[in-house]
Amino acid sequence: MKTSYEEMFRQALRIRLAEEKIAEIYPSDKIQSPVHLSIGQEPHTAALIAALADTDQLYTTYRSHAAYLAKGGDMPRMFAELYGKAAGVSKGKAGSMHLCWPETGLMGSSAIVAATLSHALGAAYAFQLRGRSEIVVSLTGDDSTEEGVFHECLNFAALKKLPLLFVIENNGLAIHSHLATRQAFSLEKLAGAYGIPYTLSKDGLDMPAVAGAAGRIAARVRAGGGPEVYEIRAYRYMQHVGVAQDFDKGYRDRAEYEAWRARDPLATDKTLIAKFKSELDREIAAAVDFAERSPFPSCDEVLKDVC
Amino acid sequence: MKTMTYREALAQAMRGALEKNPSAVVYGLGVTDFTGIFGTTLGLEKDFGPGRVFDTPLSEDAMTGFAVGAALNGIYPVHIHIRADFMLLAMNQLVNSIAKYKYMYGGLFELPLLIRAVIGRSWGQGAQHSQSLQALLSHVPGLTVVMPASAQSVLDTYEYAATKARFPVVSFEHRSLYDYSFNMDGLKPQPDPFTSRLVREGRDVTVAATSVMVADAVNAAKFLSERAGIEAEVIDLHCLTRLDSKMLLASLRKTGRLVVADAGWAPFGVCAEVSRLVATSDPGLLKAPIIEIAQAHSPCPTAKTLENHFYPDMGTVADAICRLAKGRKDHGVELPSAEYKKRLYKEFKGPF
Repeated sequence: MKTSYEEMFRQALRIRLAEEKIAEIYPSDKIQSPVHLSIGQEPHTAALIAALADTDQLYTTYRSHAAYLAKGGDMPRMFAELYGKAAGVSKGKAGSMHLCWPETGLMGSSAIVAATLSHALGAAYAFQLRGRSEIVVSLTGDDSTEEGVFHECLNFAALKKLPLLFVIENNGLAIHSHLATRQAFSLEKLAGAYGIPYTLSKDGLDMPAVAGAAGRIAARVRAGGGPEVYEIRAYRYMQHVGVAQDFDKGYRDRAEYEAWRARDPLATDKTLIAKFKSELDREIAAAVDFAERSPFPSCDEVLKDVC
Repeated sequence: MKTMTYREALAQAMRGALEKNPSAVVYGLGVTDFTGIFGTTLGLEKDFGPGRVFDTPLSEDAMTGFAVGAALNGIYPVHIHIRADFMLLAMNQLVNSIAKYKYMYGGLFELPLLIRAVIGRSWGQGAQHSQSLQALLSHVPGLTVVMPASAQSVLDTYEYAATKARFPVVSFEHRSLYDYSFNMDGLKPQPDPFTSRLVREGRDVTVAATSVMVADAVNAAKFLSERAGIEAEVIDLHCLTRLDSKMLLASLRKTGRLVVADAGWAPFGVCAEVSRLVATSDPGLLKAPIIEIAQAHSPCPTAKTLENHFYPDMGTVADAICRLAKGRKDHGVELPSAEYKKRLYKEFKGPF
């Protein structure tokens, strides 16, 4: 593992503080785009991406801030994108749900659950055909495994032995629907049906464990061992979409959250928080300032880049 | 006379794409089997290898999204559906991903790719093996939809798509055209194949047509020229998402009469779109109401006797041209007989 614990911690904290800033700004309506915060899930995202090469590609979902920042996406341009400004990553046409940063391999984020699984599949085929040493990582939620296309992608990836790592971040919820009401299958056995190796990290907050497992799996995939499935258990601290907590709604227990948070290094490691916080606060303030100062896109942008 | 069938043009275009674009990949269910998508992909796997030409599982959704990831990484994907109806399983990718990838990311990505979808017809193809879905996809901003109506059009369009185009193309190929032989004498490649083309000049009536209806319109026009001295102008609309409205209006300025003949359904379809273009541009050009020719607005029935009422043919087009040229329904012009039509068209024999 080439990234130190402190570096991973710093990255995860950076994401959390950036998202807390989004939550702070949100009531002003300066960000008019649905935001799906990853607060609580940043540690595993930072650890996973730390275990990859910068040139590996990543395809993910609308809960994309964490993956974007960890994969090297520019923070000022992310804030400008959320603000709908011309200097945004995609000139304000993407908003929060479709962040990308192709320079370091984040090739897209979709608001349609499971839509990016097959994009990762095609990318992995291209890498294999070209004999490239990079791998492709698909990062989606537990709900994506219920879509038929998940089966289609496991099948084709196994059939062609593609350099593709399916990471399933399992927070147990699809909006407000619990896993038990949605799934009659075991992900491990499903992967096994295709002969695809399966690994589980039960604690997404354990960054060394996630980075270690991800590094070993990525090395096998990179060596030509074919696709793998890697499940990471995590907990979503916030409501599905928006910037509030929703434990008062009765669909989940606040005690679950308390239990996760008690182990959350981003909440408990006061020493490392103190070490990095002021520097990160400055970076975030500068990013927000950049977004504030950037102009809105011109109206002719509406019909640009349609086809 | 040098001739080429539509099928031969497709086979040449597929080989050409693989030869001229080293990044091209051709795939789809049945691409490598002994029938080779009605003979259009035969021998390609052997000549270009299983990495570039391959069969797929029945996974239209995944294999369409596959094209996105491949195209993002410099591959030129050509995905073939032996029936257009199967493409409906991939609507999420077509509409939510492919059509929006460039726009949604602010122009950071382009998706050059080609999806070939074959429209079945006749010999009992029925409700789910025969659909003409061009309007459905043309409605969505971001997709470029073509319906090559001749061998030359196939050659021009697919070569341009595979070597120059930087956008996603969905092409509907009509199965009825596959055995149709086209005169290639004096034809030159069209510099920009992604637009409409004037295929026959005439002074009396304009026929704007798509796909197999272009052949029907040309045959009807020739018949009426010889038998009744009526001269119809025929425009092959070809690229539905980039219709040449100038060409259409210039023709109407001359004829003042319009037949729209589409291989799909009329409501909300190509007939509706062409009528909209005229109504919103220069409705005063029309000397008579537009006549729409389309499939019956029902699913396609299987029984031959019903199917005959479902599909229009060259006789339907000839009748419409005469009604407009003569200004009345009982125009008195003799229409092409069943024997006449049989000589022109090789009857499709099923089951495949």
